[in-house]
Amino acid sequence: MPETGPSAGSDHVRKLLAAAGASGTWDWNISQNRLRIDAPFAELYGLDETQADTPLPTATFFKAVHPDDRARIRIAVAGMVAGAEHFSKEFRVVTADGTVLWVHGRGETHFDQDDQPESFTGLLIDVTERKRTEERLRVAQSAGGVGTFEYSDGFATVAVSSEFCRLLGLHPANILPVRTINAVLTSADAGMLIPEAPHGAQMETLDGTFCVIRNDDGERRWITRRGEILHDGDGGYRLIGVIYDVTAAKAQEAALRDLNETLETRIETALAERQLIEDALRQAQKMEAVGNLTGGIAHDFNNLLTIIIGNIDTVLRRSGTDRDPREQRSLGNALKGAERAAALTQRLLAFSRRQPLAPKTIDIARLLTGMSDLLTRSIAETIAIRVVAAPDLWAVEADPNQLENVILNLAVNARDAMPDGGPLTIEAKNEVIGADAFAGVPDGAYVVVSVSDDGMGMAPETVAQVFDPFFTTKEVGKGTGLGLSMVYGFAKQSGGHVHIRSALGAGTTVSLFLPRQQGAAESPDEPDAVAAERGRPSETVLVVEDDEDVRAYTVGVLRELGYHVMEAVDGITALQVLGRDDQPISLLLTDVVMPSMSGTELADAARSLRPELKVLFMSGYPRDTISPDGRIQAGVDLLSKPFTFASLSQKLRQVMDHAEG
Amino acid sequence: MITEPISLAELERDALTEIVNIGVSRAASNLRKMIGGEVLLSVPSIDVVSQRRAARLISEREVSDLIAVRQNFQGPFSGCALLIFPETNSLELVRAVTGGELSTAELVEMEHEALAETGNVILNSCLATMANMLKRSLQMTIPEVIRGSGATLFEVDETNASEGLVLFLYINFSVRKHDIRGYIAMIMDLPSLATLKELLDEFIQRVMSDDA
Repeated sequence: MPETGPSAGSDHVRKLLAAAGASGTWDWNISQNRLRIDAPFAELYGLDETQADTPLPTATFFKAVHPDDRARIRIAVAGMVAGAEHFSKEFRVVTADGTVLWVHGRGETHFDQDDQPESFTGLLIDVTERKRTEERLRVAQSAGGVGTFEYSDGFATVAVSSEFCRLLGLHPANILPVRTINAVLTSADAGMLIPEAPHGAQMETLDGTFCVIRNDDGERRWITRRGEILHDGDGGYRLIGVIYDVTAAKAQEAALRDLNETLETRIETALAERQLIEDALRQAQKMEAVGNLTGGIAHDFNNLLTIIIGNIDTVLRRSGTDRDPREQRSLGNALKGAERAAALTQRLLAFSRRQPLAPKTIDIARLLTGMSDLLTRSIAETIAIRVVAAPDLWAVEADPNQLENVILNLAVNARDAMPDGGPLTIEAKNEVIGADAFAGVPDGAYVVVSVSDDGMGMAPETVAQVFDPFFTTKEVGKGTGLGLSMVYGFAKQSGGHVHIRSALGAGTTVSLFLPRQQGAAESPDEPDAVAAERGRPSETVLVVEDDEDVRAYTVGVLRELGYHVMEAVDGITALQVLGRDDQPISLLLTDVVMPSMSGTELADAARSLRPELKVLFMSGYPRDTISPDGRIQAGVDLLSKPFTFASLSQKLRQVMDHAEG
Repeated sequence: MITEPISLAELERDALTEIVNIGVSRAASNLRKMIGGEVLLSVPSIDVVSQRRAARLISEREVSDLIAVRQNFQGPFSGCALLIFPETNSLELVRAVTGGELSTAELVEMEHEALAETGNVILNSCLATMANMLKRSLQMTIPEVIRGSGATLFEVDETNASEGLVLFLYINFSVRKHDIRGYIAMIMDLPSLATLKELLDEFIQRVMSDDA
């Protein structure tokens, strides 16, 4: 009998083995057909302790084996006895008290010199605990979708769990070739699922995620690998790890990332929109602030200019032709300077969209024809002016005087852009604009008036700024910087738009879009009579003006014209005058912007006292008398400051007579 | 899985597994002596499948072309046995068997002969053990080496009207420090498999009656 089995050991050894979980040993002598077992084996099988270490019939081996496992074990043992080398079976034994235990029998056959099986020895280990653990592990694997693997370096195969095979769509097996497993990978970029030497030894972690094509259904899945690299003492290593499917998580991750990315773009778009709106708001606020400022200045300035111009006018008028020519010239220059100041104030108001407009339905072709004299006088000979007006132009509604101003302004700009001369084209045509055809121009039908040059052009940064007040590319002193902002203000106030197309060295085209107006153009007004219109003493004019000097000048002019004049410093005083019945008053000539009571308030109150009363406003900043779109309210007559002897006389006469008729 | 026209009961499968196990043990022992190194042999697992399915099973496991040693056997049950390796393993096996002293050129020259010899050792061990355990005798032909895909190896008998069945044994035998693994397959027709089934039942009866 070979000395291989531990049955010969002492009690001490047996106890150690028992503590280690070894439940018993056996020695099956094949030639003698006898079985020897040790005490723990006997105890496990419910045999009398005396039967240990004595030859027993070999059938004893199967005695305590659970009936369901018995045939299987018999067949396996038959194989061993016939010469198989390894025995490794798990089976149940029923102990003396009826408890069912799981045991693992592990044994081997020993051969004699003739290679004939001589004995079959082995060890029986109680693996009930392990079996339960395995059960839990199996359930954990299938329930959790986790597959395990163990790979020892140097071998071409890997021990795997059935869940491992299922995850990769492989035929279930306990052992798979490394190549079979790695063949499911879509690419080698992330390394191999089972890294063979030498890669395995160099790796620091088994953590990784791989894209695989499942072998059974060809589905593309994402598999994550986790585990440990165990280094054995002999320089070899084992890779023990798990794999699990992370396709769903990956998909969610991708969806989330996608969402995040689009969120970013969505936020960017929203922010950009907001930025645009903020820019527009800031621009509007700036314009509003500058407008208020210029409006305020214009008011005071126009009062002053009224005094200056009025008084110079008076002096010139009274002194006649017998004046010293030098004095005459000086006064003329002073008047010219004051008139220029008035023009500047007018532009300020135009830009701030506070100029009083008197829009009429006009024919632009006729307006352009009328301007040709003015244009040729303003533009140098080196510039070839071409005015092209399309036939059948639609009518537009605009203030003709201001429109002329705007066109002249653009023509002068075009001229200045071509110091060496060149063609200047003023073109008018009908155009129906689709959405987004021009930035900032809504779709609709327009008459487009374009002024083009082929001059130096402007850089995009410059174009962005040209409508800002006081922005100018001209040398200091050459321009006020109000030209284009006035154009812009006029266009907006007239319900139209301005568009600039320009590039450095490629000329500039400024297009004025004026909305089409249904109906025919009105005939232009007859030119105003040049002669002063005199008043009659029977006509009483009540002048209300808070500015002492303006009032004095106005009263002076009116008296000179032959009117009977009364005056009041403010609205309250004026109402007291109107309240008295002793005085017939034909017309109320009132300033608009006054402390405590405005001109319009006064006019309303006055009309309730004397409904037949005519009213003429005078203002340098007619904020309250003009409607938000810049038109003078119907039935309201306005005399713009600064006014002269002639303009006051004409306007007054006109209002006086119109109301009578 | 498709239900095959003939299938082994669980005990018959156990019995066959054990019988092949004995054969494989013998083969491993012989192989160990030839190679002089550690040979890891798995306890075989058995499937009875159609030839087509066998071809699929092996191509699932092996990416490269295959090389096989084939031996025909005749007796109460007849057919052919195949020892199959991935072709890439072939030279490795020859290198292992010849002790790693030969140059690559010499290996290539010896490949055919060495493979046939190795196949003979393994297949003979299995078939002889089976015959022995089932108390019958089998005649075996001289081994031949064939190459090709799983399909060419298993559909060798395409002229035969009735598709044969394959007793497919997964035997992973891994040789440490050599990248080698292989499979054993036995292709039999239906009558032969029916006979094998009977013989296995006899074997089980014999083993059980030892109880006395």
